[in-house]
Amino acid sequence: MRVPRSLEVWKMGTVNYLDALKLQEKLVSDRKTSKIADTVLSLQHPPTYTLGKRRTDHNLLIPESELKKIGAELCYTQRGGDITFHGPHQAILYPIISLRDIGIGARNYVEKLELTMIELAALYGVRAFAGQKGETGVWVGERKIGAIGVRISYGITSHGLAFNIDPDLSYFKHIVPCGIADKEVTSLRKETDSVLPTEEVIQGQLISCFARLFGYSNLIWKEKGSILSDNGEN
Amino acid sequence: MTMRDFRFFHSAAKLQKRLFREREREREREIMACSRLMWATRAASYLRISVPFTLRVRGFSSVLKDLKYADSHEWVKVDGISATIGITDHAKDHLGDVVYVELPEVGASISQGSSFGAVESVKATSDVYSPVSGKVIEVNEELNSSPGLINASPYENGWIIKVEMSDKDETNKLMGSDQYSKFCEEEDAKH
Repeated sequence: MRVPRSLEVWKMGTVNYLDALKLQEKLVSDRKTSKIADTVLSLQHPPTYTLGKRRTDHNLLIPESELKKIGAELCYTQRGGDITFHGPHQAILYPIISLRDIGIGARNYVEKLELTMIELAALYGVRAFAGQKGETGVWVGERKIGAIGVRISYGITSHGLAFNIDPDLSYFKHIVPCGIADKEVTSLRKETDSVLPTEEVIQGQLISCFARLFGYSNLIWKEKGSILSDNGEN
Repeated sequence: MTMRDFRFFHSAAKLQKRLFREREREREREIMACSRLMWATRAASYLRISVPFTLRVRGFSSVLKDLKYADSHEWVKVDGISATIGITDHAKDHLGDVVYVELPEVGASISQGSSFGAVESVKATSDVYSPVSGKVIEVNEELNSSPGLINASPYENGWIIKVEMSDKDETNKLMGSDQYSKFCEEEDAKH
């Protein structure tokens, strides 16, 4: 009795963090009034540190004034989770979907986001697993390969997941990632011997895993590289 | 495809199948637990007994008879023009362990259906919505140091705010316990 469900996929390239945040706010509002269907943004960010609603800036280990020197920005958000880093070669998905339409809550949603990354890692022979209680995210052994931070407003999701394909891991040295000390951060490149295809292919696989786990049978792909200069389109 | 590729894809497929089987077994265990607990839940909620922690099973969370409920899973207990508000057992089951609660300021005005704060669990912040309009007269400061009270006691010690209602009739728009129980079952049946 399942109605075939559609997902619109926006392939966006590299997007400034704050621009992506403003776009998500607009899309959440549009999704709430059913102006748009379930949508997922697939993108990467330039080097950016972000904090969640709890503002755990004690987990940033260098002064904010030093960030510019290393070519990074700091952004405050309303998402859940602790401090994290986003940068080139890290695949990001921001699903803007209605959880009420599919009858699931935060916990189930986050579990599915974890499974999305676990299944992607499995495609390259990497055995990843969801974190223990209080350590939401995706791990390979004691090393974190995928992070999650989500906001749910009127049952509509924003923010989402970040999967390390091959980012510059030295950026993580300037924070206590996700507030969990003594745990390393890793990437797909470090964990697999497989030859990796292009990042576009890997991001496409990530979206396919997501779509399958959430039961979307119809994907509508949109190239939205220039969306932020293109206000009329929606 | 080389032999090496084949081995990788084969073990990836095996891992996926194992994950799927594990999820199926987990679901079966939940269903068995459901049927055992169902009579206990219904009896307990009818008798207005606070049900203990064993109710982790979706769709059979405890619902108290003398409260009113919003479709965003907040409850309200009316006492004259004063209303105590929190989130339901169903809501906290679906959230996971609450690690942070964002409370409004005392004196803030809130309106029915609008957000007055948020809770964080499993790296997700979820807005909470007021079932009634009015002025915030008290917030549960205990939640700052013990956000887990929401999980341990969603209807008692885990209350979130107290409101002086501006329009008592607004509660007519809310659900009673039976209607809310049914609403939860229908929502859970969606997936």
